[in-house]
Amino acid sequence: MPYKYYGGVHPDYAKTAAKTPVRPIAPPKQVVIPMVQHIGAPDHPTVKVGDTVAVGQVVGYNDAPVSAPIHASVSGTVVAVEPRRHMLGDMVVSVVIENDFKDTPCEDMKPLTPEQLKDPEAIIQRIRDAGVVGMGGAMFPTAFKIKGAVGKVDTLIINGAECEPYLCGDHRTMLEHPEELLKGIELVRIAHGLDKCYYGIEKNKQDAIDLLNSLDPASYGIEIVPELVKYPQGAEKMQVKANTNREVKPGGLPSGVGANVVSTYTCYTIYRACYEGVPSIERVVTVAGDCVPEAQNLLVRFGTPLEHIFAEAGADMDRVERICMGGPMMGICVADPSAGSIKGASGLLLFSSEINRESETPTCIRCGNCVAHCPMKLEPIYMYMYVMKGDIKKMEEYHVMDCFECGSCSYGCPGRLPLTHTFKLGKAMINAHRAEEKARAEAAKINAAVAAEKAKQAGKEARA
Amino acid sequence: MEEKKIFKVTSNPIVRTPRGTDRIMLDVLIGLVPALAVGIWQFGLNAAVLLAVNVAACVFFEWIYRRLMKKNNTIGDLSAVVTGVLLTCVMPSNAPWWVGLIGCFFGIVVVKQLYGGIGKNFLNPALAARAFLSAAYAVYMTSWAVPAAMSGTVDAVTMATPLSYLHNGDALPEYYNYLNMFLGGIPGSIGETSTLAILIGGAWLLLRKVINWRIPVSFIGTVAVLTLIFGCEGYGNLDWMLYNVLSGGLFLGAFFMATDYSTSPVNLRGQILYGIGCGAVTVLIRYFGSYPEGVSYAILVMNCCAWAIDRAMRPLQFGISRADVKAKKAAAREAKKNAKEGAA
Repeated sequence: MPYKYYGGVHPDYAKTAAKTPVRPIAPPKQVVIPMVQHIGAPDHPTVKVGDTVAVGQVVGYNDAPVSAPIHASVSGTVVAVEPRRHMLGDMVVSVVIENDFKDTPCEDMKPLTPEQLKDPEAIIQRIRDAGVVGMGGAMFPTAFKIKGAVGKVDTLIINGAECEPYLCGDHRTMLEHPEELLKGIELVRIAHGLDKCYYGIEKNKQDAIDLLNSLDPASYGIEIVPELVKYPQGAEKMQVKANTNREVKPGGLPSGVGANVVSTYTCYTIYRACYEGVPSIERVVTVAGDCVPEAQNLLVRFGTPLEHIFAEAGADMDRVERICMGGPMMGICVADPSAGSIKGASGLLLFSSEINRESETPTCIRCGNCVAHCPMKLEPIYMYMYVMKGDIKKMEEYHVMDCFECGSCSYGCPGRLPLTHTFKLGKAMINAHRAEEKARAEAAKINAAVAAEKAKQAGKEARA
Repeated sequence: MEEKKIFKVTSNPIVRTPRGTDRIMLDVLIGLVPALAVGIWQFGLNAAVLLAVNVAACVFFEWIYRRLMKKNNTIGDLSAVVTGVLLTCVMPSNAPWWVGLIGCFFGIVVVKQLYGGIGKNFLNPALAARAFLSAAYAVYMTSWAVPAAMSGTVDAVTMATPLSYLHNGDALPEYYNYLNMFLGGIPGSIGETSTLAILIGGAWLLLRKVINWRIPVSFIGTVAVLTLIFGCEGYGNLDWMLYNVLSGGLFLGAFFMATDYSTSPVNLRGQILYGIGCGAVTVLIRYFGSYPEGVSYAILVMNCCAWAIDRAMRPLQFGISRADVKAKKAAAREAKKNAKEGAA
């Protein structure tokens, strides 16, 4: 039985793509692979202009522990290594590969042997080598996450909530590759050194729950937990609460209460890396929104320019006002559609101005919906007030730092206040303030040391 | 070079609920329809005229104020209409139309707009206007017309409300029975007489999630419990409780006035305390005050406490249990003690 949690909202789920099978799109002429596709240290390009690369060949690498290598998603020739626009806005060093449409496979990565498939060390090493990151959108390097959790956690939770509206990639993966998925989850479980794990799936995916249950998940050490249909069910802290009734402490990580959360598509990618020797080079992307004639699930290679994806989906780009990467609740707007797709992009939503309900004169009517919806049990109405005032002390007292930006408050706000946006600003303000305080304290320390030194010198001189 | 289309960037969430302020206010208006219908049916043309004047005046004052102050036009959010309708609900039908007009000016301009408009006022505009009118035009505001349901039974133009009888310690006349009180065949303010109509409207608000159960239940519950316990000489405790619950503006106040967003706490625990406070002050006024009716003043009193209640009743954050709070308090006490000992 899943446990309940406070707050949350029920947006229009609009999962119209749930019945549409995943369709691989034609590979693009050129892929733009940014060297930032994970949280942590950016990769350094390992290829130069003119090199010939094969599918799955490493093109970006960094030794740092919090990092993940990046692989070529097509075969062909490297035509440029230069800063290009990243989906999230910055200019980032990217490897541009001209596709030769031969899909020459790279022989570097072999499937793991049956012995290796039972060995946690080997699995974690393969997860690292295959460049697997949190595919739910956080893009945290999975190998590092597992390594940090081994020994500390007693519960592993696989996140199949897919609570964001529109997105159906995880749902389709469950339906189309159930056995592979279960095997992938088993690998993650073995890597954690645990005997059992939970697989939380929202009840609106009943067909997937039934299908997975019919495949005897217990033999893989998996218990399937049907969860409440409520946003943000798929947030890490909510998953931990729903499956174990433990509450992650403010500012803490799930591992602080002995739990680790890995997303569905990450597990599937791990299956492919270990059983098939295919690194993380593609993923299912749900393309939906009111500017797409029909919501669909596309198998997209990383680095595919978004324009190419939209053309494949038949989108009406003239009507599009906003492009959203990820789900509409936590997704990030993309300004430039020439950017290459990245590992964390679980959805690409194209919205016209008809969907835009932002107001030019947002007005709080004190309805309290934000307080009733906040899953962290914060008081967004007052947090908003203090951020607008710039009162750092009050912001900290009202726990602005504990907001995880799920967007529930803004979603439910009838006065159309930019609540979530304001809290992002507030966090930046608090961080800047803390950095300033720290710098000030350090400067004071140095000044005091200098003054002491001077006094010493003066004393010596006086004595002399 | 071809000009490239750059797309708009906004923070998450990209989608928002279709329920804006205007839709919420429309729901409140829909919820008030049954009570108003009973009022107009019982009190006739006077009530309809008052309603029309009040709504028009509230919208006009809001529009002209925002215009003169060069602020954005807010009549589209329908909150001014709601104020006009609510003020009509708490006025006797005998009041002349210009009294309503003055009340609207006070409610919209002085109480609401001078504090910054919707969401910023700390008093309920309709109730503050009623309180103002009761003080300034006491004669008009306490003259209760005989409802249509009673026109055959009594031979008078105006009569006293059940609460005035109770307040004076007089026995209630026979036609003030529970059924009439519940259905609305008694004298009183235009929108407050029929408990049934208000319950239908309140159910609509609950169904549409415009309000939650906390304030109405704790408000009415407190009044019921306190009157049941303390009773009154000359009445059975249960009778006294039912009279108190069914008469006056208790249901209208609990469902439509006390739940006013701007003037009630947003924290859920705070809302219960607020409702209990409203109920307790109502009972205090009814027992010891010089007015027979206490609901409107009780709500105004608690309006002033709403922000303080919000601060006092903050929710516990996710991940913080009661034990954590206790441990933190104990640690703080310990630290204080140690510091004291160290100093000594």
